[in-house]
Amino acid sequence: MSSETVAVRRPGALLRRRRTEAAGWLFVSPAVLLFLVFVAGPFVFAIALAFLKWDLLTPAEFVGLENFAKLFSDPLLPRVLINTFVFALASIVTHLVFGLLLALAVNQVISRAIGYFARVAIFFPFLISWAAVALLWKYVLDPTFGYVAQYAAMIGIDLPNFFADPAWALPAIIFIDLWHTLGFTFIIMLAGLQTVPSELIEAARTDGATSWQIFWNVTLPLMSPTMFFATIITFIGAFQIFDPIQIITKGGPQDSTTTIIMYLYEKGFQAFDMGYAAAVALLVFVIIMGVTVLQFVGRRKWVHES
Amino acid sequence: MHTKRRKVVAAAATVATAVLLLAGCSGSGGGTGGATGSPDSGDLNFVYMGDADQQKAFNALFAEFNKEYPDIKLKAVGIPSGNWATFSTTVATRLAGGQKIDIIQVATEGQRLFASKGILEDLQPFIDQDKEVVDDYWNDISPNLKKFNEEYAAGPDGETVFIPGGFNTMVMYLNTSVFDKAGVPIPENGNWTWDEFIAAGKQIKEKTGAYITGAGPGYFTDVMPWLTTNGASTFNADWTEPTYNSPEAVESAEFARSLVELGLAPKPGGQFDGNTAFKQGKLASLNGGRWPVLGVRDMKMVDDTVIVNWPTKTENGSPVGWDAWNITKNSQNKQAAWTFIKFLMSKEAGEYFAQIGGTIVPARVSVANSPAFTDNAPEGTVRLSEAMDYATPIPSIDQGAEAQKVIEEAWGTIIAGQGEAQKTLDAAQSKLESLVGE
Repeated sequence: MSSETVAVRRPGALLRRRRTEAAGWLFVSPAVLLFLVFVAGPFVFAIALAFLKWDLLTPAEFVGLENFAKLFSDPLLPRVLINTFVFALASIVTHLVFGLLLALAVNQVISRAIGYFARVAIFFPFLISWAAVALLWKYVLDPTFGYVAQYAAMIGIDLPNFFADPAWALPAIIFIDLWHTLGFTFIIMLAGLQTVPSELIEAARTDGATSWQIFWNVTLPLMSPTMFFATIITFIGAFQIFDPIQIITKGGPQDSTTTIIMYLYEKGFQAFDMGYAAAVALLVFVIIMGVTVLQFVGRRKWVHES
Repeated sequence: MHTKRRKVVAAAATVATAVLLLAGCSGSGGGTGGATGSPDSGDLNFVYMGDADQQKAFNALFAEFNKEYPDIKLKAVGIPSGNWATFSTTVATRLAGGQKIDIIQVATEGQRLFASKGILEDLQPFIDQDKEVVDDYWNDISPNLKKFNEEYAAGPDGETVFIPGGFNTMVMYLNTSVFDKAGVPIPENGNWTWDEFIAAGKQIKEKTGAYITGAGPGYFTDVMPWLTTNGASTFNADWTEPTYNSPEAVESAEFARSLVELGLAPKPGGQFDGNTAFKQGKLASLNGGRWPVLGVRDMKMVDDTVIVNWPTKTENGSPVGWDAWNITKNSQNKQAAWTFIKFLMSKEAGEYFAQIGGTIVPARVSVANSPAFTDNAPEGTVRLSEAMDYATPIPSIDQGAEAQKVIEEAWGTIIAGQGEAQKTLDAAQSKLESLVGE
C-alpha cells in the first residue's frame, strides 16, 4: 500500500500533520532565526574570513591557508595560550572548591533569614557589570592610594604591586574573577545540594557514618553531575575572559595577562588583521570544543549517573 | 554515504559562498560614488571623539551651526573611546560595517592611517573654491600646525586630505597652595629643569607629604613629555625608524623611574582620583593639555592653579597632537560637509567652543590668546599654545595602536621597577622595528 493511497483515503490526516509541522516550525522560528543571524552566520563568516587578509578599510585579499600557518609561527601565541589555560584551570579549581564549600555552609544554616541573606550577599557581585568591578578593584588595589595597601602598611606589611608585577598580575585577575563570578557557581552548587535525597543522608547517619563519610560517600557522588556542569560552564567562561583584563592591565605587564580573546581583539581591532584574528577565533573554537569533548569522555570516571 | 557526501559538499559550498562574499569586502569607507550635493542642505554624518562632558560642548557648537544652516541635517556621533588609537579602530570598524560617514574628526594618532588608505577626498578643489576663507585661517594658525599637517597627514599622492583643527600640548598645572605651604617658588617664566623639579618635589614631600606629580605609562601624557624635554622621541622625524632606546630616551625613562623610587610620585599600577588628590593637597600638580581645566573649574581652583612648562633636561619639549577634519570619498554631500568644515575653521566657532568648555587649544592664535580661551582658566594658560613653537608631533605610524601598546608597556615596566631601562627599551625598540617593517 503506497503512501499516496493512504493520502487519498485519509486526506484530513495529512493536512493535520502538515499543520502540526508548520506550527512547530513557527514556534521554533524565532530561536532558529536568532541562531542563524548571531551564531551560524558569524561562524561561517569567521571561517571565510580566516582565508583572507583584510584591514577593514581596503579590499580583502584571498591568502589561502596563510593565516592558519601563522598560528604555528607566532612567537607570542604559546605564551597567550599558557596564560589562558592557567587562568581557566585556576578558575575551575577555585570556583568549584569555594562554590561547594559556601553552598555546604549556607545549606547548614538553620535560620531561614540568614540563609536568604547569605545567598543574596554571595550572589550579588555577579550582578555588577565587569566594567564596574574592574574599576573598583583597580582603585582598591592601587599600590599608593588603595585601601588594601594602606591598611596593610598600617600593620607593617609591604604588599606587592599587584597589577604592575608580572608575577602577581594574573593571580590578581584570577582573584577578582573569583570574587565576581563565584556567586553563580555557588547557586548552581546550592541547587545541586538541595537535590540530594535527605533519606539517603539519614540512612547513612543511622548506619553510623561520620559527617565526613556522609559527605565523601553520599553527598559528593550525588553532586557530581552538578559539579560536571559547573566545570564545563566555568571552563568555557574562563577561556573567554576579556573585560577585566582589557580594563585593568590591557594584557600587561609584559604580556603576563594577555589571554587568547584579548589577543584575538588586539589582532583584529588594533593590528587590523581581521583574517588572522578569525584564525585565532577558530583556534579558540577548536580548543573549547576539544576540551569539552574530553570532559564528556572523562565524566564516566567520576560522574555518578543514577 | 551519499547523505554524508551531500552534507560535506553543502558545507563546502556555504564556506565558498561566504569567501566569495567576503572577497567583495571593499572597506566601505572608501571607493568612489560620492556626490557633491548642495552647500546649504543635505544630511551630514560626523563622528568625533568625546566623552559625555565633551559631547555637551560639541552639541552646543553643532546647535550654533544649525542656527546658521538649518537645512543641513547634522548627525554628530561622539565616540567616548578614551584614546585616539581606539577611536581610529572604532571608526574603521563602523566604515567596514557600511556606515555612511561624511566627516571624521581624526587626531594625529590616526591621521596617517586614514590618509594612507585612500578613503579621503582631496580637499584642494574646496580650498581653491574658498581661497579667501582658507587663507584667513592659515594666516591665523601656528605655521608649525600647517607644516605638520602637510608633513604627517597628506594623502597617498601628497594631496591635502585634512584641515587641522585644535590641538593639545603637555604642561603642568601646579597647586599653588601646596607650593606655598612647602615654601617652593613657582618656576619663574614657567620654566624649570629636571634638577629643580626633583628639588621641589623633595621639599614638597618633606613639608607637606604631597607627591609632586603622577607617574604613568601614557604615551602622550607621560612618555613623550619626558622624552622630548631631553631631546628624544619614540621615532625619528619622519616616523620611519624607532628611536626608543636612544641614550637620551633611556635617561628619560630612568629619570621617570627615579621619581617613583624617591617617593615623589605615587607607585604606578592602580588607579586613583587625581583631581581629588590635587584638591586635597596630596598631589601638587596635574599633568595634561587643555583638558584638566574642566576639573580645575569644577573644583573651584582656577585661582589656586598656575600652568607651567614641563621641566626640561636639555630643552623645552612637549608632544603635540591635533584634530583634523576631512571629507570621505563616499560622502553624498561633499559641499555641505565643506560648509561644516568652514564653520569649524571660523573664528566665531573657535571662540564659542573655547568659551563653552572645549578641551582643546584653539587652532587660531587670535582665539588662543583671547579672553574666550584665557578667562576662567589658570594663570599661564597661554603656555599651552606657546608650546606649539617647540612641540614634537606625537609619532603615529600606521600600526599606531600596536606601537602605542609596546611603548606604554615598556615605560610602565620601567617606572614600576620591573625592568631595567636599557634592556626594556631595547626589547621595545626591536618590537617597534618589526612593526615599522610590516
